[in-house]
Amino acid sequence: MEAAEDFGPWLARQLRNAGKSQTDLAVELGMTRAAVSAWIVGRSVPRDETIRRIAELLHTDLETIHTRSADAQLGLPVSWYHRPAHDDGGREYGNAAAFAFEADVSVLAREATQNSLDARLDPSRPVRVRYTLHELTGEALARFREAVDWERLLPHYDALTADGGRQDKVSRTIAAGLRDMYQRDRLVLLRVEDYNATGLTGDDYGDGLFAAVVRRQLDSQKKDSGAGGSYGLGKATLWATSRLGLVLINSTLSEPHEGRTERRLIGRLDLPWREVDGREFAGPAWFGRPDPNAKSSDVARSWWADEETVERLHLTRESGEPGTSFLIVGAHDVASLAPVTGDEDSVEDDDSVQRMHARLKDALGRNFWAAMTEGGGHEAHLKASVRTYRNGAILIPEEIVDPADTQPSRTRALRAFLEGDTVDRLTARGQVARATVRLSVPLRGGEVRSGVPHEAVVLVTNAEDDVEGRPNRLVSMRGNRMTVKNSSVPNIPIGTNPFQAVLLVGRAAGPDAPGAEAAEEFLRASEPPEHNKWGQTEELRLAYSPAAHRRIATLTTLANQAVRDLVAVPRAKRRNGGEAKIASRLKVGGTTKKARPSGTAMPELDNVDALIDETGAWSVTVDLRVASNVDTDRPITPVAKFDVRSGPRPAAPWKELVAISGCAVVDGALRLTPGSRKAAFRGVTDVSRHPVRAQLTGLVVELRSGKGEQA
Amino acid sequence: MKVYPYRRLTGNVSWRVDSAQLKTEGEPWEDVESKYVSTVERVVALGPNDDRPDWTQARLRLSANLPAKAVDGGSPWQDVKVVAVLTERATNTRTAVELSPIATDGRELTGELYLHRCDLLDRATLAVHVVATVGGVRGRVIATTDAEWFVDVIETAPSLARELDVKLVGFESGASRLRRFKDSPWVVDTTGRIPAVRVNTDFDGLEGLMGGEGGNGAEKTVRELLLTQMCSEVWTAVFHSAVGDLEIEEDGTPLFPHGWQGEVLRAMLPDIHPDRDPEDALREIHAARTGTSATGWGELQPRIHFAASKRAGVPRTLSTTIRDLERLTQGDDA
Repeated sequence: MEAAEDFGPWLARQLRNAGKSQTDLAVELGMTRAAVSAWIVGRSVPRDETIRRIAELLHTDLETIHTRSADAQLGLPVSWYHRPAHDDGGREYGNAAAFAFEADVSVLAREATQNSLDARLDPSRPVRVRYTLHELTGEALARFREAVDWERLLPHYDALTADGGRQDKVSRTIAAGLRDMYQRDRLVLLRVEDYNATGLTGDDYGDGLFAAVVRRQLDSQKKDSGAGGSYGLGKATLWATSRLGLVLINSTLSEPHEGRTERRLIGRLDLPWREVDGREFAGPAWFGRPDPNAKSSDVARSWWADEETVERLHLTRESGEPGTSFLIVGAHDVASLAPVTGDEDSVEDDDSVQRMHARLKDALGRNFWAAMTEGGGHEAHLKASVRTYRNGAILIPEEIVDPADTQPSRTRALRAFLEGDTVDRLTARGQVARATVRLSVPLRGGEVRSGVPHEAVVLVTNAEDDVEGRPNRLVSMRGNRMTVKNSSVPNIPIGTNPFQAVLLVGRAAGPDAPGAEAAEEFLRASEPPEHNKWGQTEELRLAYSPAAHRRIATLTTLANQAVRDLVAVPRAKRRNGGEAKIASRLKVGGTTKKARPSGTAMPELDNVDALIDETGAWSVTVDLRVASNVDTDRPITPVAKFDVRSGPRPAAPWKELVAISGCAVVDGALRLTPGSRKAAFRGVTDVSRHPVRAQLTGLVVELRSGKGEQA
Repeated sequence: MKVYPYRRLTGNVSWRVDSAQLKTEGEPWEDVESKYVSTVERVVALGPNDDRPDWTQARLRLSANLPAKAVDGGSPWQDVKVVAVLTERATNTRTAVELSPIATDGRELTGELYLHRCDLLDRATLAVHVVATVGGVRGRVIATTDAEWFVDVIETAPSLARELDVKLVGFESGASRLRRFKDSPWVVDTTGRIPAVRVNTDFDGLEGLMGGEGGNGAEKTVRELLLTQMCSEVWTAVFHSAVGDLEIEEDGTPLFPHGWQGEVLRAMLPDIHPDRDPEDALREIHAARTGTSATGWGELQPRIHFAASKRAGVPRTLSTTIRDLERLTQGDDA
């Protein structure tokens, strides 16, 4: 059997966890301390008989001691550690980083997925991200609460919500979460897991990804210049999405820590300052194994869990591939509730897992369509999926997010670029035109004049109807393929076919694009924490020059120009300015304004039933709708004409006009009965005056006001 | 409301011009850029421009989508065909082409329509009809799409709206027909394909004033006023021209003309008779002009004048001018 870890380090940690020394163990086993020491440094291994005795002493079974895939349960059990309040009396009533975001699953999808993308392990393969919504009720919910030691947490929640005194944003959210769980017996878990990612590597306390995510705020360990995030803000969305401020983590590491890689677990609770049982707590709490080596003996550290624990905590990973699972306990979605106005019930229903599922899928498609696009032998950067369970049973099966669903034309543009399947000028639908624009990348250190030339790529294709929102927009991105800017292209003339355009700069412009690396670095420096534009930043000013951001403005202008050149007809050059100016005021056609006449209304034709009778005449039965503002004193003349392709229509005079209801026939015209809202009459045309056989005609029936001139 | 003695197709028949190609004698077909084929305005602009050959023949690729019931087995229609018809009124050209199905269900169809440059003088209209055998009668139209396209062989930009033909020319030195107007700042000629406006450059200083940019405050104010006055006169002239040449049905009903005349009438009638719908207003105006109505032609002139000056933006410009003038005189006092 392959052991997860060498016996020596494993035993050393078990002793440390149990608070025993090597001497203690030696005495208990009736052996020398030197023998124990030899096992720990790996010079020798104990005999089977001795191993059985050790298992007994550590209160574990032989299986564990042989596989060493988990820690023995001896010593302090996994539990909650709440950080004590600050000595100076300072209080934090919430996590500032979490307040920077709306509690919104689409924001979560954006930030968490960006973190996964940035943590991609093998750059030749996509990072796989899966969102699992799991709604727990009844028995399943009770089991989960037990697994997270809920009874020990409850006093802390009560302290925040019970008094009703400090009704701040955080405690209101918590109260709503608790209500949802207790009154409706319902808890939504949202697990975000990635594969082919680095996992939370590094020490529990020192610098490293683990500490950056679990212990620290605003610490970004991202060093790669291509990374999308760099401020360490994004992870706060995980906690912001939890109504209970609770996130459990299971990570499979890409580099072993303590000789292990799989099932590194920790939980983190983010609550405001509180007082429980006379003790004050600063805010955060951790769910882990008390660390005997820490300054305060009850500080919780991550532990290597067994498979059963992982399963009970809903943190099972599908394979040993490195990556991290975040379990958001009590996930909610504020934004999806916003547009709903109505009673309490409908609001609650809109927080359903089905709705969150749809919104997650949509947000992934909208934000990461570019990262998910593959083609021309280029793997996608990202593959994402969403699935939903209820009490362990599938509610919505796993759906792989297809970028072409939400962004068909932009995805087509990028794919055509990757496959080298672009054209110079657009001549048919579905084509993707490619143009090049130059960005002069300034040099670091403030040399104003010189620069590295970079060729950015502009892609333009026709917009697909209705799915992508507003057309005629230019989306800009660099190597991480994250949409930084989505702006409308200015000065597009009326009548231009709707299009979507993509600007690829830096590494996104392809490995062969000149100056790609320099451009990538330059643009990253010009990107603010929101990643929503390129412009002046502190970093840009310091690392380049105060005027460096103008190069970006120039790039934008050139890119818009390139797009316009591809989609719009330039203003005619043949006329001189004066003529053009005058002519622009003298236009005919093109406007379709339908002004309703303001005066007396006419009855309207509601329905016309027509047939050709045995004599060959048109016999029509007409229903009229009479609005209240119709002047019933004025006679109405129905007129029938033969439909023609163009030119004057031959008249079809009536031979017979009979009132059916709501009107009377007087002198060949209709008199409406006052007060009647409906009227009906029948008319038969005069066959002797038909220019052609009725069978081969179409008939137009109209109403005229006044007595007709028609004979 | 129209009725027919046979079942017609209800539902949406959508179609579009997908792409266009041009051919010059002895040269291969050349693709027209999509920007000249506007699906928004539904106009194909094939007018001459710098990077376009002097073409003799054009080819339009069309595609159409039929509602499912058109091709259902149980429908009353047999032998359903979709035809695209190009018509040009000036030359009376009529070209039809049948679209052929590309999918097995027969609902998606495509076709290519060829047209010759020499057949067309002005804008041609392109429409799609669905025809079928109904009750033993062949070739009955069971649906005509609402959406018409225009093929424009004059303009380079695909736009539904058309600008009048404005030129700055010297009347005294120019064509003989303009010489007798040499003291006039501008003339309007409504006899052509589209109304022509000629501005007299031999009128001293007029070109600089009307065609110029910027200038001082007074100059701008006068230019603006002058332009609106000219536009007002132009609209009055084109309205009279349009209303004076109507086709009349046997019962005396005037028909809306095609082309710019119809556009001008539809745009201005709501201001002349705001209480009537356009057809009714046109009948009323025609009756007034031909003396068959109680309202005389003379009584209608203030309304026409009002509609023209409103369209030219006279009231707005005048208000601005008066305000500017006050500011200018105040500046002089200071």
